[in-house]
Amino acid sequence: MPDWKKAVRERLAAAQLDPLSESDVVEELAQHLEDRYQELRANDILDAEGERRVLAELENHDLLANGARLARRRMTLRPSVGIPPRRRGYMAGFLHDLKIAFRNVRSKPAFSVMVIAILALGVAGNAAIFSIFNGLFLRPLPFAESERLIDLDETAPRWNLKNVGITATDFYEWRKSNSTFDSMAFFRGSSYNLSDRGTAVRVNGAQVTREMLDVLGLQPMIGRNFTVEEDKPGGAKVALLSYGLWERTFRGDPKVVGSVLKLDEEGYTMIGVLPREAVFPDRAELWTPLAADPNNGNSYYVNGVGRLKAGVSIEQARADLLRIHKAMIPDGRKVNEITSPVLMPLRDRYLGDFKTASHVLLAAVGMVLLIASVNIAALMMVRGAARSREIAIRTAMGASRGRVVAQLLTENAVLAAIGGAVGIAVGAAGLQVMVSQMPDTIPQWVSFSLDGRFAIFCVAITGAAALLFGLAPALQAVNVDIRGALQDAAARTTSSRGRRLTMNALMVCEIGLTLMLSISAGLLVEAFRKVLQVDPGFRPENVITFRLNIPDTTFEKSEQKIAYYDNLLTRLRALPGVTEAGATSAPPLGGQWGGIFEAEGGRGFNAQGENPEVLRIAATPGYVEAMGMTLLEGRTFEQRDGKPDSPQVVMVNETFVKTFWGQGSPVGKRIRQPGGKDWYEVIGLLRDEKHYGLDQEMKPSVFHPYAKTIATVDRNDARSLKGMCVVLRGSSDPKIVVGAVREIVQQVDPDVPMYQVEMMTEQMDRSLWARRAYSWLFGVFAVIAISLAAAGVYGMVSYAVSQRTQEIGIRLALGARPGQVLGQVLLGGMALVSVGVGGGLAGALLATRLLRTLLFGVSAYDPLIYAVVVVGLLVVGLLANFVPARRAATVDPVRALHFE
Amino acid sequence: MARIAVDRELKKGSAELLVLSLVERRARHGYEIGKLIEARSGGALSFQVASLYPLLYRLENRGWIEGQWVEKAGQRRRRYYRLTKEGRKALGAQRQRWRQFVEAIHQITGMEHA
Repeated sequence: MPDWKKAVRERLAAAQLDPLSESDVVEELAQHLEDRYQELRANDILDAEGERRVLAELENHDLLANGARLARRRMTLRPSVGIPPRRRGYMAGFLHDLKIAFRNVRSKPAFSVMVIAILALGVAGNAAIFSIFNGLFLRPLPFAESERLIDLDETAPRWNLKNVGITATDFYEWRKSNSTFDSMAFFRGSSYNLSDRGTAVRVNGAQVTREMLDVLGLQPMIGRNFTVEEDKPGGAKVALLSYGLWERTFRGDPKVVGSVLKLDEEGYTMIGVLPREAVFPDRAELWTPLAADPNNGNSYYVNGVGRLKAGVSIEQARADLLRIHKAMIPDGRKVNEITSPVLMPLRDRYLGDFKTASHVLLAAVGMVLLIASVNIAALMMVRGAARSREIAIRTAMGASRGRVVAQLLTENAVLAAIGGAVGIAVGAAGLQVMVSQMPDTIPQWVSFSLDGRFAIFCVAITGAAALLFGLAPALQAVNVDIRGALQDAAARTTSSRGRRLTMNALMVCEIGLTLMLSISAGLLVEAFRKVLQVDPGFRPENVITFRLNIPDTTFEKSEQKIAYYDNLLTRLRALPGVTEAGATSAPPLGGQWGGIFEAEGGRGFNAQGENPEVLRIAATPGYVEAMGMTLLEGRTFEQRDGKPDSPQVVMVNETFVKTFWGQGSPVGKRIRQPGGKDWYEVIGLLRDEKHYGLDQEMKPSVFHPYAKTIATVDRNDARSLKGMCVVLRGSSDPKIVVGAVREIVQQVDPDVPMYQVEMMTEQMDRSLWARRAYSWLFGVFAVIAISLAAAGVYGMVSYAVSQRTQEIGIRLALGARPGQVLGQVLLGGMALVSVGVGGGLAGALLATRLLRTLLFGVSAYDPLIYAVVVVGLLVVGLLANFVPARRAATVDPVRALHFE
Repeated sequence: MARIAVDRELKKGSAELLVLSLVERRARHGYEIGKLIEARSGGALSFQVASLYPLLYRLENRGWIEGQWVEKAGQRRRRYYRLTKEGRKALGAQRQRWRQFVEAIHQITGMEHA
């Protein structure tokens, strides 16, 4: 006797019923078949023929499976379902759809996981990058009406300087005469040794004019602001504590007001505590009065911030300050012909550098999301086609088309919601990682936490994705031809023209977008590679640096300072594991001291105010060796160069030679400050050290012997020499000597704290943070895009082939060779890939122009990168086409035709 | 659209009406229902397994009929369907509608003949 149960079970497999209802259905149907079989036998129909007839009645197994599935599924949901639809409200209908949707999502785990993963990828990238963008450029600064806050500075293109700083003379005049600002404040960063019961700690502070609180729209939390008298040269030594320092050092004691604190060995009276919101100037934990001398017209040393009057535009303010600035020229400020005020929104001044990179990244993740959506839309179309029969049956069984569409949309919404939630979680985690890697050049008043705008953004993208990929199958469902879909044959012939065109368009888009993204990534990665190959001009390996600040009060005379460093460096050099030690005012990537020079016999000699700014660096003997800088000619500093009666000598770098003399050896030539009587003789030529970062331009620079310089500089330049950086080169990992070094520093003078202990290699890594981050992210996005595109092409071609199985079978039966079939399918697929590549190339040529500022000399049309990416993508496309094409060629014509 | 809708409703409604009527007096199993429809219509109407059982499940689902496994001596157990209270109401309503429909058809076709 035939095994009816087995026959039924096979035909029900597609329904994926739960085991309990399946066994019920199988038993019932098997009994029916057995009854029928016995009936036929009773009519003398032979066993084999009887079996054939019974099984024939069981055909149309899709209908059976689907019918059983729909019916049985609902049964398990009793009593909430089974009530006729029109008696339920929309809400109940929606809940019902939701339940069905969740079950369908579960019943096709591979498909669902794929859709969720693709969507989550797209959302995660967008969520993370958008949060950064939001924090940097959209979220208001934490000050009242922060859009009215304007950064103030001076610019001097003729000195080759974008931001010069402001002189006291200029800012006093700006502040007095302007009519466009409510208030203006000026400040400079500073740092202090704060002595607290025996141990000295280093705190960052700021010297500010008393208007700073007004400009920020704040009041002291405790105590009072600086008085006019305190903010004048020679005013009382007073300080305002930041909230953080007050909490940390004074445990939030309100009685701190009036007490005296030792800063750099000088007593300062605490007059108040700043509110928590006072986070500008960045990282300042202590404010002291700037007390600038209005007659100091030569030092460009402060920054400014102003609050515009309500309704005044930045252009009006710019014109106002320019008028005031230039009006000073006839009164003897000739230098104001060269300088002009420069104004920009506060945010742009501190974050402008990140603007291009974050815009470009935002565009890239947007593209990934687009590719992901295209992919999902294609997946959905394929699945929608596979489900058209089920949909037709449901329609035939009484479901209205509206209900079917609602059901499909709900299903997609469920997928989108899960994908969105996973994506947001992953994105938030990714954001944490990225923020933790950020360098300290990002101001602390920028925060990247999730906020309302972020939530709206996420909901919007997932919603859009749901709608986008829900639309295609839903529209298809409405257009389903019930009779055609129910007749099996119709569904297996070539897919309809409209659907094929849509799928082709999706495939072309996907390839094109992927190509654009991959070329951009290739260019950025190449640029990064090029930056890494730049010769830094020094050897950062095994170098450790730390900072010292010797207070003027205890080291009043320059001899004392010189002796301190001599003593310290001699003892450090004696440490086992230390091969060389030196000190400098400004190591690579840290510190700036500018000046103007002219070179004897060189360009711009005696041309007042025409020469570009030069980076000045003071260094002790041993510094060049410790940093591993390359001496190209002459010699480095020796102890004798610091002796009071020795001649003034300097070393210069290559850019200096190029700028002033063009070429030739500088050794023996002389330079001076414009119009100065002291000449400096050049004794050595150094290779450019990439002082501002590997991917930045180097300025001409002059190296002075520390001992000679500290003895002769004026009060203002002395500030640049106050904090020195000690550089140690170790024979192996210099980290192991840090403990011993700290002990020596403590022994030499317990009041001088050692701070900012860093490996030079770490500093280099950090200086490349942004470039590494966006190059790396772009690379990741490109890999994701390529994988998505490969999966998409593979899926779409496979589907097309499966739809044509019958046709291909007929052609094979009629004598077509498998090779021909393979070739034809491949050709069709590759034609689409090629169209996509062509479109993508055109897009890339346009889009990569936006990258130009990030490319570090790599051409936006670098032919090699274009070629590699195009060929790579064609190969990926070929592989994705080949597998289904081969499957088509190996179709068994007998089985393909027998399918019905 | 309207025409198709009538058609669909009719087909659907008629099949439901047939099944409900057959289990009105006594419970029957699926094979029996199928056979009876075929026999009483003189072979004009027939249900295949693939469409009969989904229909039964749907009616059961709606709470109009109720299936129950019954074991009779010397036979394997079968699932018998009987009409529920709700089903009885539905059957009444459907009969009413069907009668109106047939009458309407009859009036039209009858006038033609007259």
